[in-house]
Amino acid sequence: MKGVLLSGGTGSRLRPITHTGPKQLVPVANKPVLEYAIEDLREAGITEIGVILGNKGREEIQEALGDGSQYGVDITYIIQGNPLGLAHAAGCARDFVGDDDFVMYLGDNILKAGITDLVESFTEGDYGAGIALQEVDHPQAFGIADVDDNGNVTELIEKPDEPPTNLALIGIYVFSNEVFDVIEQLEPSWRGELEITDAIQTLLEDGHAIDSHVVHGWWKDTGKPEDILEANRLVLEDTILDEEGQVESGATMEGRIDLHETATIKEGATVRGPVSIAENSVIGPGTYVGPYTSVGPNSTLEGVHIENSVVIGDSTITTSGKIIDSLLGRGANIESAADCLPEGRRLVVGENSQLKL
Amino acid sequence: MRIITHTCDACGTIVSANELESNRVMKCPGLDCDTVLRFGDLPNDEREFFVEHVDQYEL
Repeated sequence: MKGVLLSGGTGSRLRPITHTGPKQLVPVANKPVLEYAIEDLREAGITEIGVILGNKGREEIQEALGDGSQYGVDITYIIQGNPLGLAHAAGCARDFVGDDDFVMYLGDNILKAGITDLVESFTEGDYGAGIALQEVDHPQAFGIADVDDNGNVTELIEKPDEPPTNLALIGIYVFSNEVFDVIEQLEPSWRGELEITDAIQTLLEDGHAIDSHVVHGWWKDTGKPEDILEANRLVLEDTILDEEGQVESGATMEGRIDLHETATIKEGATVRGPVSIAENSVIGPGTYVGPYTSVGPNSTLEGVHIENSVVIGDSTITTSGKIIDSLLGRGANIESAADCLPEGRRLVVGENSQLKL
Repeated sequence: MRIITHTCDACGTIVSANELESNRVMKCPGLDCDTVLRFGDLPNDEREFFVEHVDQYEL
C-alpha cells in the first residue's frame, strides 16, 4: 500500500496567510497541517508517499518535508501543475503507485482517529475503493454516500437536495489499482476537472464493491482561518503536551502547556493551557496567554492578552490590547498605539486581510 | 482522460505532461535538481496525443 498526499490548491480562502506560502504548511499546534497526514499514513503502515504539488508552494513544501526521512517515510514528489481535479492528481501518481493499492489523502485535512481502521477495513475485503465518511449536520452541503447494511456504498451524490444519509465524504480514500483504468476513461466535468467521485461511481457501476468507513472523533478541513483556529483547539485539547522550557519564578502556569526547551515564560506572565509555545519564543511580564493558543517560533509577547489564537511565528506583540480568535501570519508585529498622536490605530494590512477593530 | 507523466532520471520527481508542455524546456522542479526537462522527452505518441487533446489539459 502506498500513500498519495494532495498538496496543491491556491488556498484562496486562507488569504492573506497563503499569499506567502501554501495552505498545507499553516501550523496547527505548532506543526504544519501536512505533517498530521504524513503521521496518519505512517501509523497505518504506509511509508512510501507521493506528494502531489500544484502550481503554488512547491519549493516550500519540498523544503519542509525533504525526502521524508525525518518522519520515517520515503517521499516522491509529483508535479500536477494545473488543478485539473482530484482524479487527475491520482492519475499523475500512476507510475509512483505501480501495481499497489493506495490511500489518497487531502493534505489540508486533520482527523482525530487516523486512517488505520479505514485501511484495515479496505484490505480485509475485495474492494475497488474505500471511502472515509463522517456524519454531518448539513448533508446538503457535502458529497454524500448512501450505504447498505453491510457498509457497502450504493450511491454517491454531490450536495443533494434530499440526502439519503448524513454521511459525507471527507477527502480520504483507499483505491485499488483498477481506479487508474477508470480514470483514463473519464471526461472532465462541467468545471473542467476530472472528478474523483466520478471515478468511484464508475467503479461502482462496473461492479466493484466500495467499502465505507465512518470516522469517529473530530475531522477538520483547514481551508479557512476559523477552521485553523478550530483545528488548533481540537489538537491542543487532545495532544499530550511537554513542558520542557524555562519557567521563571513568579510566572503563573495553569493547565497543560507545551513549552519548547528553548522557550521561556518570564516572571509576571500568566499562561493558561492548553497552550503550545514553540522554540525561541518568550512570554514576557504582564502577558496573558489563554487557552487554545499556539505561539510559533521566534516570537516575543509582552503585555498582551491573547487567547484562542494562532501566532504562526517570528512575531513581536507588545500591544496592551486583547487579541482573541485571531490568526497572525509569520512576521506580523503588533505594537501599542497608546502613545501615538494623533490618536488612532496604525495599520499596514495585506490584501484580503480581515480585521475587527 | 489519458494522463501522461515523465519521471526525472536524476531525482525521481514525476512531472505531468501539461506542466512539461506549458514550459517546453524547464529545470526539474525537484528541489536541488539541475536536470533540464523537455516536453520533447516524452515518447512521440504521447506528445502527439497531448497536442491533439490539449484543450482537456487546460483549465
